[in-house]
Order: sequence, then C-alpha cells, then structure tokens
Amino acid sequence: MTAAPAILPARSLADRLTATFWRHPRVLLAILLTPPLLWLGVVYLGSLAALLLQSFYSIDEFSGVVKQEFTLKTYAELLRPSNFDILVRTVIMAASVTLACAVLAFPIAYYAARYAKGHWKAAFYLGVMLPLWSSYLVKVYAWKLILAKEGIIGWAAERTHTSWIIDGLLSIPGLEGSSLSTSPLGTFAVFVYIWLPYMILPMQAALERVPNSMLEASADLGATRAQTFRTVILPLALPGVIAGSIFTFSLTLGDYIIPQIIGNSANFIGMAVYQLQGTAGNIPLAAAFAVVPILIMLVYLWLARRMGAFDAL
Amino acid sequence: MTTAVTFQNVSRHFGTVKAVDGVDLTIAEGSFFAMLGPSGSGKTTCLRLISGFEKPTGGAIRIFGEDVSNTPPHLRNVNTVFQDYALFPHMNVRDNVAYGLMVKGMGRSQRHAKAEEMLALVKLDAYGGRKPAQLSGGQRQRVALARALVNEPRVLLLDEPLGALDLKLREAMQDELKALQHKLGLTFVFVTHDQHEALSMADSLAVFNEGKIAQIGSPQDIYDRPATRFVADFVGSSNVLPPDLTRALGGPPEWASLRPEATRLAASGPVSGPVTALRYLGSGTRVVLDLKGTEVAALVPAGQPVPAEGATSAIGFDPKDLHLMGAA
Repeated sequence: MTAAPAILPARSLADRLTATFWRHPRVLLAILLTPPLLWLGVVYLGSLAALLLQSFYSIDEFSGVVKQEFTLKTYAELLRPSNFDILVRTVIMAASVTLACAVLAFPIAYYAARYAKGHWKAAFYLGVMLPLWSSYLVKVYAWKLILAKEGIIGWAAERTHTSWIIDGLLSIPGLEGSSLSTSPLGTFAVFVYIWLPYMILPMQAALERVPNSMLEASADLGATRAQTFRTVILPLALPGVIAGSIFTFSLTLGDYIIPQIIGNSANFIGMAVYQLQGTAGNIPLAAAFAVVPILIMLVYLWLARRMGAFDAL
Repeated sequence: MTTAVTFQNVSRHFGTVKAVDGVDLTIAEGSFFAMLGPSGSGKTTCLRLISGFEKPTGGAIRIFGEDVSNTPPHLRNVNTVFQDYALFPHMNVRDNVAYGLMVKGMGRSQRHAKAEEMLALVKLDAYGGRKPAQLSGGQRQRVALARALVNEPRVLLLDEPLGALDLKLREAMQDELKALQHKLGLTFVFVTHDQHEALSMADSLAVFNEGKIAQIGSPQDIYDRPATRFVADFVGSSNVLPPDLTRALGGPPEWASLRPEATRLAASGPVSGPVTALRYLGSGTRVVLDLKGTEVAALVPAGQPVPAEGATSAIGFDPKDLHLMGAA
C-alpha cells in the first residue's frame, strides 16, 4: 500500500490563489478594500471637499459669476435674517421630528426586541419595511390627500364633532394653515411617517442586545419598571437611539421634497439648496447651506459622546 | 427552627411542558440548600419561582411564612446572583453594588459607603471605580455577590454561580461562599448541576428529575442511601445493579446501588466478567467490568495491581455497602 502524500497537489487555480492568500494575508485584504476605499476616498470624500471648497468662494453680485477667491462672505450671508430663519426652522423641525420618532418608535422596537417571536417577528420586519418599498413621492402625495380638508382625517373629525381640535391646532401661532396639509403640522406628521423606520430598526437592534437577565437583575434589586427603564434600559439602548436619531435628524435636515408638497411653502435648508444651485445659480451659498447640516451633526455627535451615549458600546 | 422557604404542591407548567410538577419543599432558615439536577429538571424554575420571575400555575409558595403568590420580584426581600452575573455594563463596580440601595432612595454618600463595605467583604476593595468589562470572571462573580448581599436579603438565591469559572477558581469560590454563608448566617439557595459541588457545600439538598423532587435530604443521606435509580446514577456515579445481578451477588432480588469506591476486584466470586474499560484518575484507576450485561465500576487505589483490558475478573464488597432500592 502506498501512503498518501503529506502535501496534496494543487488541483486548480483556486487552490493556488488560496495558498497565496494564506502566505500573504494582506494581499486579500488589499484586494477587498481597494474598490470601496477608492469610492469612499475619491468619489465620496472628494465631492465633500469640493463642496467645502465652493462654500468659501463667493458670487459676484452684478455678473453672477463665481469668484474663485477664498472669503467668508458667503457664510456671513447665511446670517442674514431671511437665510437664518431657514436654518432655525429646519433645525427645529428636524429636532421635533427626531423626538417624535423616538417616542413613537420605542414601544414598537421594545415589543419587537423582547416579545415578538417567529411569525410575529417576521410580521414586525415586514410592517416596518413595507412602507420603504413604495415610492417616496407616492407616499407624500397620498399624505397630502389624507391631510387635506376633505381628507379622511377632516372627514372623521367632522363626523365625530372633533373638528374643533384640528381648528385649535391650526390656530396656534407658527402652525397656522387652512388645513393640516398646508400647515407646518402636516409637514411634521409626514416627516415622522417617512423616517420612522430608520428610528425603529437601530433601536430594536440595540434593545435586542440588552439581555433579559439585566432587566431581571434590576427588578430583583428592588427597582420599579420606571426605575429600570431610566437606569438600565435607556442607557443601554442609547447608542441605538442616537444611531436612529442621526438618520431622522440628518434626513429631515436635507429633505427638500416634503416641505415643497406639504405645509405652508416656508423654506427649509434642502429647498434653499435646490433653488440656489438651480434657478439662482448661486453655488457658493448653496454649498454653505449644505455645510450647515454637517456641522450640526458633528456638534450633535460630539455632545452625545460627551454625555456618555456611547459608553455602553 | 424557622423555615425560610416553603413550597406546597407547587407546579409551573408551560403549556404541556411540566417544568415543575407538584413540588413540596421546606428550606430551613440559615441553611445552605442546594437544588441539584440535570438541565431541564426544573431546578432553575424553582429558583425563579422563589425570586418571582416565574408564577406558579398551582400550589403555594411562602417566604418566612408569608404567601408570595401576588408579590412581584421587586417587593420580595430575596436577591439573586445570576448565572451570567447580569452586571450593568454602563455602571462601575461601586454603582453596580449600590444599585439596590439607589432604587430604594438611599443618598449617594451613604450607599457608596455601604457598597465599599460589601466590596471589602468580597475582597474587591480597590475595584469600585472599574467597569465590569475590566474584571475577570471570578471578580465579576464577587461583584454580583456583593450587589445581592448589600440589600440584606432574607434569602440569597444563587443560579449556577460558579458554572463559568475554571476548576481551581471554582473550588476556591466554593470554600469562600461556604465561609461567607457561615459568617452571615443567611439562608442560601444554590442551584447546580454539579454533584460534587452540591455534596460538598450544602447542608441539605434536593435532587430534581423531570420537574419533580427525586430525593431530599442531607448530602450523606443522598450519597449513601439514594432513593431511586436516578439519584444513585446521577449523584454518586454509583453502580446500579438490576435485581437478578443483585441476587447473583448474594443479595435479595431488588435494584441496588453500590459505590465504585466500595467495590474491589477479586480473583474469584459468584459473578465474573471481562474488563471493558480502564480510566486512570491519578488517585486510583476506575476499572469497568461487564457483569452479565451490566457495567460495574470498581475503584482500584493507586499502588495496587490493575488488570489489563479484556482480562476476566470478579468483584467483592462489604454487604453493608450494598444499598437496596426496591424491586420495581
């Protein structure tokens, strides 16, 4: 009987490649990382740098030509009341949308993470993701109809004699409108609807990582449900809440379609960027507007870090 | 003597699964009580019934005479050391230990002082400022212990607390737990699947099998006089002899248990058979014989001759070591 050799012959190119990767582990890593690094480095960060560069240029007021000289003049323009209003309005909207999403998403995410099993879990994922499968524009226009005076909400309020609630809300200063679909309240409701899944999913992932024994330990040591929520669940779920809020906050900061279709046509950052780079041709100011959300997000993350939001990671 | 915990015909069924089925149990105050059994035998469910994380589907549970059927976990004056320790990862060790005092509204300086006192008791004085992730398994175990004890519970529940530790650390912790229990005079209820741990630590223990208590008694009772074949097999790794073999060896026709260390090899005897396996244990060698189709192990002390595998041998024993368990 001839013994089998200790080293098997390479059968194919795949065998040889695997052997090469085994001898030089960094080669495989380099091959895997080069395309995404090129994309991220050149296309992604490159365009971001170009944007940043543009924002330091200014436009000649008479000729409308971009002057390629570094100046802070364009940023100073952001502080003009008409422009500054846009920034404040957008940030307030983004913050309230984020807060509302967090409050609405928590019970759903908590149920899905702790109680839903098997089919119910599948139903949860389907329920959360389903709205993402249909067109964004279709959903927004559908909401316009829902919120219109003759829409289902108005109809239901009339039938139940609760129109006074809607009328009351629409008379609050700052939220005025002839119907929900022309009030900032409508813009807010649609933003919350559109971005909610982006809050639920990271929150659910974070809550799923909190072991049951942690909650039992808290109860065992005498904590009420409210105390357990405040001192154990919330701190441990905070990275997920922050992750979700990054989505809802930055998506609201940048959106320019919803406020165009629903609400009182007041300008938001996204709309301003859209108009400035298009009809107005003021690329530097558009770029300066676009830098604002980036700065806000950086400050937000820095604050979250300072407050210990990522300590549990 | 006061009883700390009483189970009266307690059941916990999950649908058709009878996790705990008609258990009667009395745990004396100040005792070290072990619940022993294989996984799925109902021992952990019993512990969770005491802490309140499970509700009985039948029967009554009393803690120091008080019916706790309607008492949620946070109002029960018992505390648990969890199997995975369940330390809060976002709090340092001191805040973990002080947690129970914090939720009861004790001021910061007072609860921190108490926490430090407890940390000293478990020999972790210098570790208050660290996060649980910076501790070793054995240290986390001590923190979990301190966190439970700081609340001065009337009963301390321990759910396989030593399961994740390596052998040497486990033995050290066994001694320490026993000493701590002695010092505090507290009732400890300890769940384990490790026979040696249960026998060496408990004053009294219950052996669980399929949701029921197979036997309850002192470690000596259970080791020397197992009530059923299951107990003999699970607790002592005893030889379980069927009735015909017991009779062939000179006993009555009943099931019997015979401990390997009470069994010696003999050149001749009423029943003999081939050696099927040898296991060297250091302090001796475990020799397994096939006697009429039943595997019987004998412990040959170190220094004595050990037969080769396949050789024929008979066994001998002192008749008083043969423990009878009935004909059924």
